[in-house]
Amino acid sequence: MKPMRRLTTETDVTTEKIVATERPWNVVVWDDPVTPMSVVVVIFKRIFGYSNNKCTQLMLTVHNEGRAIVWSGQRERAESYCVKLQVAGLQSTIERDE
Amino acid sequence: MVGNKLFIRRRDGRIEVRLSDAGRAVAREAFGHVVAAERDPNHEWHAGLNAPIDPSSDDDDPVSTLNRQHEISTNAELAVMTLQDQFLNDAEAWAWLSTFQIALRSTVVANGLMSNEKLDACPSELLEYIRTLQQFLFALAECL
Repeated sequence: MKPMRRLTTETDVTTEKIVATERPWNVVVWDDPVTPMSVVVVIFKRIFGYSNNKCTQLMLTVHNEGRAIVWSGQRERAESYCVKLQVAGLQSTIERDE
Repeated sequence: MVGNKLFIRRRDGRIEVRLSDAGRAVAREAFGHVVAAERDPNHEWHAGLNAPIDPSSDDDDPVSTLNRQHEISTNAELAVMTLQDQFLNDAEAWAWLSTFQIALRSTVVANGLMSNEKLDACPSELLEYIRTLQQFLFALAECL
């Protein structure tokens, strides 16, 4: 029975490590003084497929708070979304979730 | 009001471009600058087109930066090729919007106008150019 107990402990430790390293990556859009609000909404809709309401809320967060997290998840996808936003002319970066 | 619109979505789905010759000249200049800036590292807009993706890292993933370069160039070249067209499909209109937006942001970044105060204090000719691009973007966004 002892080996079974050791195995269980090892699995628990491994699981904890996986959880600790899987913090999501955030895609952040930053405010600027010139981009029309309606353009930001159109870009969010096109890139993420969010509803009109969600896009408007995110746009207002960018406008009022200077930045908004518009997507969270795997690093590769976060990078891909960030590039799409930059290609559309928005100031965007990725960052590790705290 | 309809007569004043710069872009109109038609019933068949196409977007009609109603820019005057002067308007198309502004668009030509903006699109041309984006194409040139992507190719020329010394162009004043070049740095604005190569903003960091992950600021916590010294270098961004080269595949991502290449993708960005390719997509910006593709959009800008498509916008240039359709500059004289009366009607745009969705992909072409998206290329116009993206390229106008990049031109607008690059102008602001290159001239250090990243605050409302600096924008208000900038030379009138530059401010007029910025307002024109904003007007194009606003009108195009209404159709998309």
